[in-house]
Amino acid sequence: MPITYPEAIARRGIGPTGRVSSRVPPAARISQLVDAALEAAPECLREGVILQSIDWSAVAPAKVATMLSSLQRARVACPRWLATALLVAGHGLATDTVRHLPSHLKVLQRVNCANGDARERPDIAPLLDTLADDDGVDGDCLAAIVRQLARLGWSEEAVRLALTHAHRVPVALRHIRQHLPTHLERLPVTRLRLAGFSTTQTLADELRPACAAEGWRADVSQANFGEAIAELMSPRDNRDGLLVLLDIDGFAPRDWRNSTVDGFNLLAERAELLGDALAAFAERSGVPLLINTIPAAPAPTAGLLDRRHAAGLRRAIDLVNERLLDAAERSGRIIVIDADQALAELPLARHVEPKLWFYGRIAYSADATRALARNFAQAWGLLRRGPVKVVAVDLDNTLWGGVYGDDGVEKLACGHDFPGNAFLAMQQECLRLKSQGLLLVALSKNNADAITAFERHPGMAMTPDDFAATAVNWDPKPQNIRRVAADLNLGLDSFVFLDDSPQERDAMRRLCPDVTVPEMPSDPADRPLWLRRLTCTWPVRLTAEDETRAALYATGRKASRLKASAATLEDFLRGLEQRLIVGYARKDTVARVAQMHQRTNQFNLTTLRSTDADIAAMARDDSPGIALLGRVSDKFGDHGIVIAATVAIEGDEAVIRSLLMSCRVIGRQVEHAFLGELLRELARRGVKRVRGDYIPTAKNGMVREFYASCGLELVEADERKSTWSFSFDRAELPSSQFVVTSWEA
Amino acid sequence: MDVGSQTTALCYPEIVTIFDEVFQHTDALTAATSPDDVERWDSLQHIALIRTLEIAFAIQLSMDEMMEIRSVGDIENVLRRHGV
Repeated sequence: MPITYPEAIARRGIGPTGRVSSRVPPAARISQLVDAALEAAPECLREGVILQSIDWSAVAPAKVATMLSSLQRARVACPRWLATALLVAGHGLATDTVRHLPSHLKVLQRVNCANGDARERPDIAPLLDTLADDDGVDGDCLAAIVRQLARLGWSEEAVRLALTHAHRVPVALRHIRQHLPTHLERLPVTRLRLAGFSTTQTLADELRPACAAEGWRADVSQANFGEAIAELMSPRDNRDGLLVLLDIDGFAPRDWRNSTVDGFNLLAERAELLGDALAAFAERSGVPLLINTIPAAPAPTAGLLDRRHAAGLRRAIDLVNERLLDAAERSGRIIVIDADQALAELPLARHVEPKLWFYGRIAYSADATRALARNFAQAWGLLRRGPVKVVAVDLDNTLWGGVYGDDGVEKLACGHDFPGNAFLAMQQECLRLKSQGLLLVALSKNNADAITAFERHPGMAMTPDDFAATAVNWDPKPQNIRRVAADLNLGLDSFVFLDDSPQERDAMRRLCPDVTVPEMPSDPADRPLWLRRLTCTWPVRLTAEDETRAALYATGRKASRLKASAATLEDFLRGLEQRLIVGYARKDTVARVAQMHQRTNQFNLTTLRSTDADIAAMARDDSPGIALLGRVSDKFGDHGIVIAATVAIEGDEAVIRSLLMSCRVIGRQVEHAFLGELLRELARRGVKRVRGDYIPTAKNGMVREFYASCGLELVEADERKSTWSFSFDRAELPSSQFVVTSWEA
Repeated sequence: MDVGSQTTALCYPEIVTIFDEVFQHTDALTAATSPDDVERWDSLQHIALIRTLEIAFAIQLSMDEMMEIRSVGDIENVLRRHGV
């Protein structure tokens, strides 16, 4: 019979949670009830009753084992909630059951089964690394892992894991409380000064674990209550940095809203004062200054007019924040923490806890304070360490979908269409990082020619030249990254490694522990946003080039604002500089054309749902019809293939079977230019008369008059369809002066 | 007088853990235990106590209750009132 319960836990026998329960054992009567429920587990699961309410940490391993066997005999799968409840209580499951669970539950199973043997430790450490930046880990599960690590005596791992997740699962800190001081002893000290306009004690308390998570022991000293301005004006010189906690109630002069205009002016004056004080600090003191913006308030003070009224809270907050950013603009030493971003995960109403404000002028709720502390600490860590310098990135299934060696270059997914657009977005994020001064390195197990895919595949945003170095070969990646680091004359701690393969990440973590190896999401759709959240890549100061660029942009914006006032639709279209490239559907574009046929509902004259095979048949040289497509680009970027048509040709007659266009470019006359090219091509092939149907559906009303607007004549119409005809001798070819048209080479 | 403040055994043994956690106070607790007996029970740590109680028992305490709690017995009274 297969094993349903891990031997290691069964043998240990004692309380499966590994901690001495302070609870009185359940009464005999209750034990009997629980036993009965366990025996009837398959029926209980089927009915959805009783098992949900059992405290599994009080049930002996032997009984859980019996229950799991009975489930297996009855062929009832152990549901996710039961698996989670058992694991959190310290039990274990059959290997088969665990295989399908999310990684944090697998880790919990592993630590539940561990006996504290030193040989197990190197196996478990990399598993914990995979949890380090996973924000999806269930809180109970995480706390249970920390508890088990502490039981095993692996306090270093327990402390690190608890600290990394403390911002989400503060309760995990409970299990490592006695180990925390030892851990802190080993960390480098950073001496922070904390000032504010309200009580700063709660932030000081949260800063310690938050800084510890970043690898610093924070020695926090606080300025006197509400004396932030004074602190800025006369800075202490024995500190590594100053943190200023800003909030609107503490900052704004009391009663500023009661005498509207005067009050607002008073507030504006105070904001100026803050700006000046910040600038003065930056000038006088050699240390960095971190200050948060004021977050959105949970309730307005001028209702709908909150952004415009002199007593509007939103307007006041914007004003103060603007002064703050002005000051930061003038000095690289001032780092502004965006509080709205920092608090974004919390509902607005939970940013504040009114009773704490009234009790002790505490401006932010405990959750908000913890979130702010984390952002302050992250920024501090980033500032001290500096961001990474090199992004070493995998190719297959990371920068494009598919495997170069297996699929060949034309099958790789990258471009404007699903699912390649997710990979294109990833490439664009990499290019963005490059423009922010990071070096890109391609690190791929492939034949060296894989790098040429960037040139040979039409959908790629990156080119081989975007990479400062490439290591595309069959050597182990840790070996390659060391070689690249030596070539670039950089330490491995300057590298972040992005790879979709858990095995490659694991190998990199084991062999090059200095390289930052984040857990990349397995779904390519989640990766571009994830990459933007990756703190170690965040720039910390503007470069001279950034500043020039920002200035240029500001001028440009002014110009465009002037233009906007006089613009007409025609000016707009002319300014777009649209280009249409028409071509025949070919092997590599058949799938996109078929996909458009399947999906397009609005700009679609016949709603003919042609499949890949249909389009491929049309695309063949000996086919009696043709399939055309059009790619559109404008000065803002490339839209890819957005328009297509299929035409059946018989002698000198042709019938447009389908004509459809993506919503992305509706209203820009692309359709007229495309139909013009289509007709011209038919004429070239000897066609004299072209007919086309409009078949109305619930969604395609927008094209009812399309053929009329292109010079076709109505032949006949009923409620099912209308048929239109084009004669080359009677009408001009449709066209658009706003679209430059050409044919594919 | 309330029963809770006369007996020495606590009705809510969880309070022992909470006092350990918030105040690092491990001495025995009675209903009469007050800030005078607990070194770190000052006005700021009082907030941490209130918050921990709120989370541990899944309740919301009001401003009045914040003021009302001046001893372990008071905590028990408040908890009882919340139907914990």
